[in-house]
Amino acid sequence: MFAEQLINGITLGSIYAIVALGYTIVFGVLDIINMAHGEIFMFGAFVGMLIATKAHAPLWAAFLGAIAVTAVMGYLLERIALRPLRGRSGGSALAPLISTIGVSILLENTAHKLFGAGNQLFETSFAEIKFEVGPVTVYLVQAAILAIAILLMAGLWLWLYKTRAGKGLRATAENLETAGLLGVDTTKIITATVVVASSMGGVAGVLVGMAFNYINNQMGLSMGLKGLAIIIFGGMGSVAGAVAGGILLGLSETFVVAYGSSGYRDAIAFIAIIVVLLIKPQGLFGQALPETRR
Amino acid sequence: MPFDWLNPYHLQVASFLLINVLLGVSIYITLATGQLSLGNAGFMSIGAYASAILTTLHGIPMPVGILLGSLLAGASGVLVGIPALRLRGVYLAIATLGFGEVVRVVFVNWESLTGGAVGIAAIPQMGREILAALGKSGFSPGTLGLRNNQFISLSVFLILLAATLLSILFFLRLSSSRVGRAYNAIRMDETAAEAAGIDTTYYKVLAFSQGALLSGFAGALFAHTTSYISPADFTYHRAVEILVFAVFGGGEHLLGPVFGAMFLTVVPEALRFVSDYRYIIYGILLVLMMTFRPQGVIDPPLVGRLTRRGTAEGPWRSDSTR
Amino acid sequence: MIAFALVFMGAAIQGKIGVISILTGQGSGYGEAITNGFKLARDEINAKGAVHIELVIEDSSGKQEQALAAGQKLINSAQVVAILGPTLSTEMKVMGPEANASGVPIMGTSTTAAGITQIGKYVFRNSLPESQAIPASVKKAVKKYNIKKVALFYGNDDVFTKSGFDTMKKVAEDLKLSIVTIETFQKGQSDYKAQLTKIKGLSPDAVFCSALYEEGAVILSQARKMGIKVPFVGGNGFNSPKVIEIAKEAAEGLLVATPWFADRNDPKVKAFVARYEKAYGKKPDQFAAQAYDALYIMAEALQKAGKADREKLRDALAGIRNFDGVLGKFSFDADRDVVMEPNVLIIKDGKFQMFQ
Repeated sequence: MFAEQLINGITLGSIYAIVALGYTIVFGVLDIINMAHGEIFMFGAFVGMLIATKAHAPLWAAFLGAIAVTAVMGYLLERIALRPLRGRSGGSALAPLISTIGVSILLENTAHKLFGAGNQLFETSFAEIKFEVGPVTVYLVQAAILAIAILLMAGLWLWLYKTRAGKGLRATAENLETAGLLGVDTTKIITATVVVASSMGGVAGVLVGMAFNYINNQMGLSMGLKGLAIIIFGGMGSVAGAVAGGILLGLSETFVVAYGSSGYRDAIAFIAIIVVLLIKPQGLFGQALPETRR
Repeated sequence: MPFDWLNPYHLQVASFLLINVLLGVSIYITLATGQLSLGNAGFMSIGAYASAILTTLHGIPMPVGILLGSLLAGASGVLVGIPALRLRGVYLAIATLGFGEVVRVVFVNWESLTGGAVGIAAIPQMGREILAALGKSGFSPGTLGLRNNQFISLSVFLILLAATLLSILFFLRLSSSRVGRAYNAIRMDETAAEAAGIDTTYYKVLAFSQGALLSGFAGALFAHTTSYISPADFTYHRAVEILVFAVFGGGEHLLGPVFGAMFLTVVPEALRFVSDYRYIIYGILLVLMMTFRPQGVIDPPLVGRLTRRGTAEGPWRSDSTR
Repeated sequence: MIAFALVFMGAAIQGKIGVISILTGQGSGYGEAITNGFKLARDEINAKGAVHIELVIEDSSGKQEQALAAGQKLINSAQVVAILGPTLSTEMKVMGPEANASGVPIMGTSTTAAGITQIGKYVFRNSLPESQAIPASVKKAVKKYNIKKVALFYGNDDVFTKSGFDTMKKVAEDLKLSIVTIETFQKGQSDYKAQLTKIKGLSPDAVFCSALYEEGAVILSQARKMGIKVPFVGGNGFNSPKVIEIAKEAAEGLLVATPWFADRNDPKVKAFVARYEKAYGKKPDQFAAQAYDALYIMAEALQKAGKADREKLRDALAGIRNFDGVLGKFSFDADRDVVMEPNVLIIKDGKFQMFQ
């Protein structure tokens, strides 16, 4: 049982990690939490479902579709809800946060109108394929999810550290003004960041559909909260932190259920971050909090 | 009957509106020291459950229950406020949101104390209790020209109105006192306030506990208005709702969250006929507000204009750069 | 012609009945079926002529405060003579006392938790409570499958599923079954692998599951995929055809106890099913059927009362005995609670069938 629970935990954790990555890169560059990220993830799942299950198209088409739609959503989010707020001097720093909360409410209820309430089936053709490795059953889907997650993280890391655009992003994250002075097109970078983060959310959505076979329009909220917990735990703006935190959360949730009481499963994420914040507020991999960071 | 126009339905909505006002003010108080706490749904539930359990299981009289519930919530506020000193900004917000969630999950699982998801029913309801008590001394609402249910709704509304007005007055007075000025100073620049000799630790924790106490008070009143509570009444949905009252209504003046709570309680009720799209409109409203007027609707200059006092002289002044 | 119609209308008892239903949000699947049942019954009753019913429908979105506001609106603004609904037991716990204090009869058609009608003498229900349904299905299952060890799995954050679990646990203990584990899940969850893996490892003879169909169908599906082959006994939430729709083959073998059986060999049932299908394009489920019967019960009580008076209606309702509806024979007991015989059904070949 342990091995199977371990696989459950890692599968879940990989998905959490991808969602957390989306939060973390946006935070790194914009210093804001995109509260609509969870809902974009949910939309990705539904688009994937419509393509893979309703239209019976192959899985790669579902990924493409989800990425396309969520990328557009990310672009619109940045353009309409975030950019206009950036130039302002007065008003609270919370304005972008509230704005994204507004978007998340909008998306959650639009999804309800479009897709209806309740669980919808996300069927993939190879969902049934499994391997026996000794006494342990591994589903091809679980292996695929882990593979895709690793590819995604590797790709993101490459982009951030090996490409010019990525360097520009890191520069912008470091200091918006200076990066601009150094010739980085910060507007483009910011837009690109939100778009990339949102598409990652879209990918995660399709992965969730593959893993659990059912999606519903309430998924965005709980995934959103957990993603937040993860980046706090791992350090906001830290890529390694998002990955480590995600996997760790997936494992802890699974093992608390397996060996403890399933009632407290949802509380784990929050208990963990409260503990972390009290002991090491910048999170596992974060830098020490500068006083100006609010 | 002369008071036929007195509609318990409207009184009901007004009563929930007043509770929302209290909640809006509760988040505002901590915000006034620059601390954003999203845990007020948790403090609200502590007040609600405490009062519900004391009055249903231990026969404690309602006013005492409400008092004790509020005090317990306030004490929790201290417990949360102290570790919160280490955190800033969005970190603090998420941590307090987490606190609220943990409280909810504990209440769901601690079945022997709270009944778990089944909740606590048959909580003494303020209006019905008053009616029963007065009935014993031979009084009947008919003598006032009221039907029973009108009387019940009216008493609840009047009690909540009194509680809300008193709370607002208290905090308005507080704002122009030494405490209020300290809050404002800390919010503007904590380091400078510290350097100026203000005990920031004391005031920040005080603000936290005041906010928690008010939330707990609102929670206890809520329990004695609906007569049934369950953990589902205190989810992060509510925490976000409370936040929106304050930010939409105005984050820089006490009357901001008051207005925010009033407006955002009435609008979904008035939009019942397009109830399907209620929350979608709500979401769009938020984005538009933040784009065009991020300080919220009510800001100190507006209050100044409305009260013809010229420039900003509201409680908790805004940026000195204005 | 018009004069005749006027006389005809004048002779009919006019009843304005309020409905609180979940039209939007989670649980709207139940709300939709219930409202459809009411509407169909209303059209039939009005066509008969003795009673004319006007339904005023309000949405609660499954939230207690909204249910309360909706109820107040119906009682005071719309001045209804009675209320049908709300959909959820949590909503009823808030709205029931209010209706009771206002002297308005209120009848739940889908509220099955414990303690509902005990709220007050104006509170009724015709929805078979879990406390009667579950023992029926469990006893039959234990006998047929020789069950000795069970796993209990329930949603611990919803009053309905928790209530169902309390009954399941009690029945399991009364029958001296060995409970290998009690697992919980929360609303909105789509991943049950951890809990199911644990259950699988303990090899129970059966799983008793208390869930709403949204979670229940997914639990079934994931359980079967994982290789859990033992029988599942479900609570009231599983009584919806949506379970079959969502879980598909995984739903085979599920046992439930329900007052409603769509394929019963009864002309009244067949006629109702046909008319419902014609009007709404799908077969009626338990919630539609209970709603349908509920409005008929109201109409009968209205006739007995002689006029649309809240007091008289309440007394007439309390006296309903041996009402013959599509769910079979129905009476209110001394507490205005349900007296009815449940059927135990099993999902076989993609539909609910009698469990022998």
